[in-house]
Amino acid sequence: MTGLYELVWRVLHALLCLHRTLTSWLRVRFGTWNWIWRRCCRAASAAVLAPLGFTLRKPPAVGRNRRHHRHPRAGPAPAAAHRRLRWRADGRSLEKLPVHMGLVITEEEQEPSFSDIASLVVWCMAVGISYISVYDHQVLNCQSSVKVLSPEDGKADIVRAAQDFCQLVAQQQKKSTDLDVDMLDSLLSSNGFPDPDLVLKFGPVDSTLGFLPWHIRLTEIISLPSHLNISYEDFFSALRQYAACEQRLGK
Amino acid sequence: MSWVKEGELSFWERFCANIIKAGPMPKHIAFIMDGNRRYAKKCQVERQEGHSQGFNKLAETLRWCLNLGILEVTVYAFSIENFKRSKSEVDGLMDLAREKFSRLMEEQCFLNICFAYTSRHEISNAVREMAWGVEQGLLDPSDVSESLLDKCLYTNHSPHPDILIRTSGEVRLSDFLLWQTSHSCLVFQPVLWPEYTFWNLCEAILQFQMNHSMLQKARDVYAEERKRQQLERDQAAVTEQLLQEGLPASGDPQLRRTRLHKLSARREERVQGFLQALELKRADWLAHLGTAST
Repeated sequence: MTGLYELVWRVLHALLCLHRTLTSWLRVRFGTWNWIWRRCCRAASAAVLAPLGFTLRKPPAVGRNRRHHRHPRAGPAPAAAHRRLRWRADGRSLEKLPVHMGLVITEEEQEPSFSDIASLVVWCMAVGISYISVYDHQVLNCQSSVKVLSPEDGKADIVRAAQDFCQLVAQQQKKSTDLDVDMLDSLLSSNGFPDPDLVLKFGPVDSTLGFLPWHIRLTEIISLPSHLNISYEDFFSALRQYAACEQRLGK
Repeated sequence: MSWVKEGELSFWERFCANIIKAGPMPKHIAFIMDGNRRYAKKCQVERQEGHSQGFNKLAETLRWCLNLGILEVTVYAFSIENFKRSKSEVDGLMDLAREKFSRLMEEQCFLNICFAYTSRHEISNAVREMAWGVEQGLLDPSDVSESLLDKCLYTNHSPHPDILIRTSGEVRLSDFLLWQTSHSCLVFQPVLWPEYTFWNLCEAILQFQMNHSMLQKARDVYAEERKRQQLERDQAAVTEQLLQEGLPASGDPQLRRTRLHKLSARREERVQGFLQALELKRADWLAHLGTAST
């Protein structure tokens, strides 16, 4: 009997893995479901309405589509400026924007796509987010000029702060009872940097994988399937979700 | 009579439980039981009734966990931040807690209840304890490590939770077990806590099973790196030791090995001494609490 249950579990597990791989492959290959769905809808509507003599109004070219859409007369520069203005307006249209956004990459099959991460950073800046952190749990020691975080900035930093405090206690410059939440917070190397309001987590792993445990006590964690070929639409829909959430802070 | 609801699973529940148990099973689940007040509003009852239903749901969930062989559960019952609520609601929650939790001693599982808790306070307290150890001459500042901090947390007798489940659709941790869940499977479910079902629990466990090997790998890589860094630090300490004694830093490898071994053995001795002293201190404090309340 146990053999039968195990067999059923294996089949179930295989189906779930297949579903996840297929979705991920389709996403990377054809872009977001949202985009596919919109295209299918338009195609379906066109097929249905055409015989009735209606012509579909062309939808405003947005995000991914814009890249394929040829501007009839203007060159690239006005289009780029138009995009930036649009992004800035998008940011202002939300009830709230995160001050500090964290980008957590959990995908590990391939190398992270630096161009996609760069796009995300640019969109963050354009929309009006002041602080951006990028986290890769596999990066063991980061020495870039861009603020990229690694597990060193998480628990290891708390331990370093604890050691520093214990050193002060050993030198009798402080008493153990002097340490409270605020003091420990001030001893961390993030001092001055605000806690992340929002983390966008990319990839199939349902975990923060050690990202700034101390700092994410009130952080909203929004998951997206992948950072590869990420579209502005996906990015902005996550911001919309953040804007709609209600933080009661215990009350 | 048991407070954890009596009763076995239905046929279909048992069938699905047996299938799920064929895969890797969590040993410890943590719950943020969110949604009691929204449930009360939805059913148009008093908030207190929502919280009461929430406690009933907890009893039921514990029974399901026992049936699935999950013997340890941690729940976020009350945060320090919740003291901001109205006096009547806070009093109501305290009364409910007193009534329900006093019957828990009869049960066959571990239920950890985080009450008047925040994770940052817990971590700060652990650092304070280590600083106390240094003050007492039991520890060197260099003995402070991730694993020692772990052993100073309130949850030091439990393994880290395999799954953290938060209900009601909120997607944040709200200062709950931030240290312990850094590599746990996070499951955010939109269902309100008083409406939680056995199927919701199965869904969470399936998600854990999908993540299991990836998380295990991430944890192993992380642990390897921590070990490597500790070894590097110890090597540096031994080098300094040798130089201070006027011996060549890269001399006899046998001597280095002996010194390394001695260094870590002495550290282990100090750590064990400190942990024993900490246990005694905590036991004394609990005993004092017990006598103070009578």
